[in-house]
Amino acid sequence: MLSSLRTGAQGLWRISSRALQTSSTLQHDSLFVHRDTPEDNPSIPFEFSAPNQKRVEALLAIYPEGHKRGAMIPLLDLAQRQNGGWLPISAMHKVAEILNLPRMRVYEVATFYTMFIRKPIGKYHVQVCTTTPCWLRGSDAVLNAIKEATGCEVGGNSPCGKFSLSEVECLGACVNAPMVQVNDDYYEDLTVEDTKEIIEKLKKDEKPKAGPRSGRFASEPLGGLTSLTEEPKGPGFGVQDALKA
Amino acid sequence: MLQAVGRIASLSKPNLSRSLPSLAICNSRYASSDPSCLKEAPIIDTDAAIALPEEQRSRRALESSIVVPIKVDLSPVSGVPEEHIKTRRVRIYQPPKNAMQSGTNNIHHWEMEFDTRQRWENPLMGWTSTGDPLSNMKIEFKSPDEAIEHCEKNGWCWYLDEPKIEKEFKPKNYGVNFSWNRRTRVSTK
Amino acid sequence: MLRQPLTRALALGSPTRLAPVTTRRYAEQAQAQPEKVEVFIDDQPVHVLPGTTVLQAAALAGVEIPRFCYHERLAVAGNCRMCLVEVEKSPKPVAACAMPVMKGMRVKTNSDLTKKAREGVMEFLLVNHPLDCPICDQGGECDLQDQSMAFGSDRSRFTDIHFSGKRAVEDKDVGPLIKTIMTRCIHCTRCIRFASEVAGVDDFGTTGRGTDMQVGTYVEKMLLSELSGNIIDLCPVGALTSKPYSFAARPWETRRIDSVDVLDPLGSNIVVATRTNEVLRILPRTNEEINEEWLSDKSRFACDGLKRQRLVTPMLKDSRGNLTPVEWEDAVVAAASALRDCPPDKILAVGGEMADAESLVALKDLVNRLGGENVCTEQYFPMEGAGTDLRSSYLLNTKIANVEDADFVLLIGTNVRFEAPLLNARIRKAFIHKETDVAFIGPKVDLTYEYMHVGDSASLVKDLASGTSGHEVMKRLQSAKRPVVILGADQLKTKEGAALLSYTQELASKLQENLQEKDWKVLNVLQRTTGQVAALDIGYKPGVGPVLASGPKLVYLLGADAGVVTREALPKDVTVIYQGHHGDQGASIADIVLPGAAYTEKRATYVNAEGRAQQTLPAVTPPGKAREDWKIIRALSEVCGEGLPYDNLDEVRSRLAEISPALVAYGNVQGNNYFAQALALAKSVQRPVSGKLDVQLKQLEDFFMTDPISRASPTMAKCVQAVLKQKQSPY
Repeated sequence: MLSSLRTGAQGLWRISSRALQTSSTLQHDSLFVHRDTPEDNPSIPFEFSAPNQKRVEALLAIYPEGHKRGAMIPLLDLAQRQNGGWLPISAMHKVAEILNLPRMRVYEVATFYTMFIRKPIGKYHVQVCTTTPCWLRGSDAVLNAIKEATGCEVGGNSPCGKFSLSEVECLGACVNAPMVQVNDDYYEDLTVEDTKEIIEKLKKDEKPKAGPRSGRFASEPLGGLTSLTEEPKGPGFGVQDALKA
Repeated sequence: MLQAVGRIASLSKPNLSRSLPSLAICNSRYASSDPSCLKEAPIIDTDAAIALPEEQRSRRALESSIVVPIKVDLSPVSGVPEEHIKTRRVRIYQPPKNAMQSGTNNIHHWEMEFDTRQRWENPLMGWTSTGDPLSNMKIEFKSPDEAIEHCEKNGWCWYLDEPKIEKEFKPKNYGVNFSWNRRTRVSTK
Repeated sequence: MLRQPLTRALALGSPTRLAPVTTRRYAEQAQAQPEKVEVFIDDQPVHVLPGTTVLQAAALAGVEIPRFCYHERLAVAGNCRMCLVEVEKSPKPVAACAMPVMKGMRVKTNSDLTKKAREGVMEFLLVNHPLDCPICDQGGECDLQDQSMAFGSDRSRFTDIHFSGKRAVEDKDVGPLIKTIMTRCIHCTRCIRFASEVAGVDDFGTTGRGTDMQVGTYVEKMLLSELSGNIIDLCPVGALTSKPYSFAARPWETRRIDSVDVLDPLGSNIVVATRTNEVLRILPRTNEEINEEWLSDKSRFACDGLKRQRLVTPMLKDSRGNLTPVEWEDAVVAAASALRDCPPDKILAVGGEMADAESLVALKDLVNRLGGENVCTEQYFPMEGAGTDLRSSYLLNTKIANVEDADFVLLIGTNVRFEAPLLNARIRKAFIHKETDVAFIGPKVDLTYEYMHVGDSASLVKDLASGTSGHEVMKRLQSAKRPVVILGADQLKTKEGAALLSYTQELASKLQENLQEKDWKVLNVLQRTTGQVAALDIGYKPGVGPVLASGPKLVYLLGADAGVVTREALPKDVTVIYQGHHGDQGASIADIVLPGAAYTEKRATYVNAEGRAQQTLPAVTPPGKAREDWKIIRALSEVCGEGLPYDNLDEVRSRLAEISPALVAYGNVQGNNYFAQALALAKSVQRPVSGKLDVQLKQLEDFFMTDPISRASPTMAKCVQAVLKQKQSPY
């Protein structure tokens, strides 16, 4: 409350003094240069596992000869999945080697896309949508509940190392707001209790049921259909009499 | 006479300027031989009209003698020490483009410059000192011919350094960056 | 007469005006020119080829459109948006650098819309650019400074009253040559494109995106290229600046003297920036026929070697065997008496790798007048067959610029990348833009482009020459319309050198016979040093071997520092006179040291590997008591009693012109001929060859220190260290 007051006051003052606002110094939460760490350095070997090796071949087969570099994003994604959700530098080197590309070209792609995570991450990557529709439906409470339950800070890992929490922009499930994404699954129509339950289950490595928690199947209205309720009309409905056979 | 005027006009500029007064007279009197194209009756110089034929001839000879190109040598009067005229060479060149910049604004002219002589750091202020009176004599010209003429006039030994900056024109193409089967396809996109 | 008569001045002073202008004739003659289209730049009609960009069309009309990312020698990127112009009937301004012209297009480069677009782009660039011009090395020669003055708005809407901070980017470490201040980067990507296209080292790139995007290497990595210095020039702002030159001077304080580089055999054109008798930096100067606008790192950064290890005073060896400084009189008298007392056939004069033509001719004349004949160069060249009688057998006959038009290049025993980096850049250019293929005979090296590795045995050349080779290269060579064969001069040092040269000549002439363009030259020999061509032109004998074996009594080393003449190889009672500018191998074995001038300190003629004579201009004066080299020899000749008949530079050059007019045809290069005659003479020396071809410079660390100047340069030493350190790194 206090902070919002302060922002409001500042805003007022800004309006009176300047026509333009300066943008805040929001920095990305990850670095765009590489730093060697014990967990992530080029001397840690990375090899695709045997099943993934087959997948690599299948992926490469999609792209025509001479343009194999098109497989870069799928390969990086494969490497990230194999490596527990994040992409070490040696995996990038491996991909560069497979595609016969300069390493820099792989670094460029891996740093461009936010879904490539270049630092160690928990087993469950919880991404909370806090864009307007979710925010209006109480995503702040959901976020706080997750922070409390996992002990994560936004952009950080939990002390147990199992969870990572990020605040993300719209994930395209606004009809089922608020929602979180855990790894590849969407959990929608959340309340604080639902959130806590999901986290507790994940702590026990059980897989909570994905999808809306409000009892909806998907994004249909909560209180039953309000339109298109009757049986669909048969063929020839509304056609001029003269045109009827 | 017309031929003489033509010859005068074809001579290079300084000669032209040296002979301008006489040329002006020539022009007003002899410029057009066809009277039908004249707006006014030609002003006839009475002196010329009443002159005897031999007088006219000698006058014409005098006029043409003025336009004979004279080699001007300023070195005896320019006050430049003889040593600097005798021993030094002037380089006439087009200033090169600064490699650090892409602009080409101040290089479309020709310059002359003397060979470098010793410079040293002045102990008082740290500025550069030199004992060479011609060290900062950089003069800009529109064309090398002007520069050569200037050097000739001053009696300096010059040489011309033509830059090799002519190159064939190749249209640039954004599309080749993405070309499907050529090596111009860039790795950075 | 106070000066030369006009005719003489014209003939000697400006040969360029009289010599026929050599233009490149091989550029797509056959291709029919498509019809030109008319476009209007500021209502001024221009006729251009279809496909030309608006920016180029404007340049033809004499209108310069501001740009940051566009560079005529790099691919079009179109990301800085500074070149936005208004095009009639187009709803938005278009980027002139990437937009092809269309018939009847009306471009307005000075309209209100264009100006507003430029102002907008400039404002955005400046919002993310620090205001640190006073401490920026680019200050005074900065495109961003100039263009913000010319095209920017006079005020900014960016205010940082909350001190939230401007965008800031961490600096990168890319080696000892390039200093990076990445906050200044405006993301033009010129450095990335240069590294990837010209240098062939894909180490630069952009990481991140949006406001977090940055140019860099992502990992800590040095830019391992022999052309890396050029990205300093390319950078339109102060993000990449020269580390050795950092905080040294402002551009307006320096005096720029146009000169010629001598550290590699190509003779790149340079600008030497000096202040108070000190060379501060060396920049490239455009010469389309040699270096375009690039310069190799050695040529650019070795200039600090000109201040170290210099010989500044004449020296004589005293009774204890130590070199002690003396006056010129003593040194010259000592040298002259040594020369006079020595039997003429026991005098050995050696021309070094950076000796200029004037001093070479003076030394040869002096030795000849004394009755001696032994004037040699350090680098060997086989004298069997035609030897050095025909110029075509030891030059780059194709010419550097024409290599671009070649469709197949065969390199024999030469690592062009380090022996002549800018020739390699040309080959790479042809490789990329003309689909030229390259084959290489020699050890496996990294040439920055793909090549067919034929093998490293010398007999491969024999097979190719005799046509018995079954290798694919044979077919490619025979089907090529403009083949080029480049033979490294280093390979000719061995016993098999003569035969190898002969086979190469045979191969080249066989290829040449089948060409449709009869004036295309196939044979090239790439010399390793700048001094060699001039010395051979003047009549020096290549190689000191035989004379050294005969036991000379007096050795006169003219800048001979390559280490081919050593104390061990010489008799005990020999007198060694060393004349040169650096205290290197030659001076260390000398009894008499005569300090000479380096290439930035004299007006001197150098002949490059193509046979193109060029002259350096004095940028500074020689340090201490050092003097111009030909003058030292002239003075020595006077004391010897054999005074040489020239007293000033013009007279020395007249003497050069007597020997060969090509030596004073500055800037121009003549076409070479007599290939068939050279081959006919060389046929007799064709013997079976069995050796392996090896190159001296294999890795980047070998490249930096190859001559007395670069060996004295601390920057070059740092480069070697950094490269070796980088090789240890996993990246």
